[in-house]
Amino acid sequence: MTAMSPGRRSLRRIRRRTGNSLLFVAIVAISVIAAFPLVWMLLSSLKTPAESMQTPPVWIPSTPSLTAYREVADVIDAARSFWNSAVIATVTTAGILVTSLMAGYAFAKYRFRGRDLLFAVLISTMFLPPIVVLIPLFRMVTYMGLDGHLFGVIVPYLANAFGIFLMRQFIAGVPDDLIDAARVDGASELRIVFSVVAPAVIPAIAALALFAFVYHWNTYLWPLTVLQGNTEDYPIVLSLGRLLSYNRGAMNTGLVMAGATLAVLPPLVLFVFLQRFFVDSIVSTGVKG
Amino acid sequence: MVSPAVALIGVFIFVPMVLTIWLSFHQWSTQTGFEAARFVGLRNYEDILGPISVGRDFKRAFLNTAIYTALSVVAILPLSVIFGLLVYQSRVAGGQFLRTILFSTYMVPMIAVALVWSKLYSPSEGPLNQILFWVGIGPQSWLSSPDTALYSIVILNVWQQVGYFTVLAIAGLTQIPSSLHEAARIDGANPVQEFFGVTLPLLRRTLLFSAVIAVINAVQVFEPVALITQGGPANSTNVLTFHIRRVGIERAQGGLGSAMAVMLMLSLIVVIVLIFSLARQKEERA
Repeated sequence: MTAMSPGRRSLRRIRRRTGNSLLFVAIVAISVIAAFPLVWMLLSSLKTPAESMQTPPVWIPSTPSLTAYREVADVIDAARSFWNSAVIATVTTAGILVTSLMAGYAFAKYRFRGRDLLFAVLISTMFLPPIVVLIPLFRMVTYMGLDGHLFGVIVPYLANAFGIFLMRQFIAGVPDDLIDAARVDGASELRIVFSVVAPAVIPAIAALALFAFVYHWNTYLWPLTVLQGNTEDYPIVLSLGRLLSYNRGAMNTGLVMAGATLAVLPPLVLFVFLQRFFVDSIVSTGVKG
Repeated sequence: MVSPAVALIGVFIFVPMVLTIWLSFHQWSTQTGFEAARFVGLRNYEDILGPISVGRDFKRAFLNTAIYTALSVVAILPLSVIFGLLVYQSRVAGGQFLRTILFSTYMVPMIAVALVWSKLYSPSEGPLNQILFWVGIGPQSWLSSPDTALYSIVILNVWQQVGYFTVLAIAGLTQIPSSLHEAARIDGANPVQEFFGVTLPLLRRTLLFSAVIAVINAVQVFEPVALITQGGPANSTNVLTFHIRRVGIERAQGGLGSAMAVMLMLSLIVVIVLIFSLARQKEERA
């Protein structure tokens, strides 16, 4: 290859620079399109009812007001719904953490007959859409007397395959010496799980907690089926559905958007502040398997 | 140590799974106990696959779900690779920002997504038709026409999910050794050749995993249908999760609903096996 003349080199630099700015434009454009629905939601929640009904649509509310939020709080008892969502998401997450840590530890560190088969069978449930078991599960929960009750929403989901998988992946990397040392000190196996292994896999615990919390904050099908119109126990996602039927048509747009904004906030805030944990756990489990 | 997890997953997933299969051979009202189920052999299957209205509705829901799933996967996978390359390769500012924006839509409850998009799609007060008007395209009917309603729900699904698959794609890209890219460049490959010769083949495992997850996510579509379209207009958005719940829970026809659930499960197994065997074939040829 001949040495490049100064002219060709600067041509290359220009080409790379235009390439970079093209990339930058693409990134900005995609970001704008991706963010647009949520921005529109926020803007619409601040409009007056008259503005929401205008054709062509008003983009920026002229006099932003929080009236819609006040109305939402009354119509669906938003505080109660938030509390229900928090209870469902927190208790379910706590259960998943405990069961996943224990099972993940056993699958990573114990040797027992049928271990790999049992693990494979459990993991296969990760690929099962909930609708496949919905009908008998609903009946079973009714047998247990838990239909129409928050416990009925929570109990079937206290363990899941993804949690076990994630924990096994991470606990496999905890040195055996650490565990053996604790055993020599006379620690029970349960104590080892929660005070030796758990502190060593904090990032995985954080990731699992966030995923579980967001998933069970957002989930709709199962609570809708179990709670059977017991609106007192409705989580925010179900109350949001009621909001739509409360006043059909364009009139309720501001109301619905304010409700949606409220429901979106907790998972979104959690994600934005803790996104490192989400992304790292996907990177380390998603494709290596 | 494994018993709490095994007991819970056994009782709340494997027991109802076996019951679903068992119930699919029975006539059973969801409002009665399991002991009231009456064995009817294959009649539920004959009904849902037959020419009467039960069968017509099920087959339509099945077809709608298949179209919805196929379109979602076909849109999400290429977009995730393009966005993934943008975030991963660009040394320009904004890559991380793009990832945050894209992934954050995946964190949002589907119910809120459905509500917001139903307003975006609104023919007169919605911004989408306004934007189309600006670029010289006539108003679309979106969710209100049987010709476009299902596609409109595909679009909102792609919007919500693509960020998750972008992160998967980035994870796949980071595992490709940079020496392979350098080798391709030394051999004089242009960026397009490099993409098809190095990047894409080495992303195959990631894309395989993504395809399976995208299929499983897509068959679960429920909220936009339950809340906005109710399966309409003219059954055009009636999808399986919505239909099975309507038949099995709301109409309490537990046997029929279970037979539909079994059909869904079998079809999923077939699709997943197909995806894997397709990938293996390619691997052998390579």
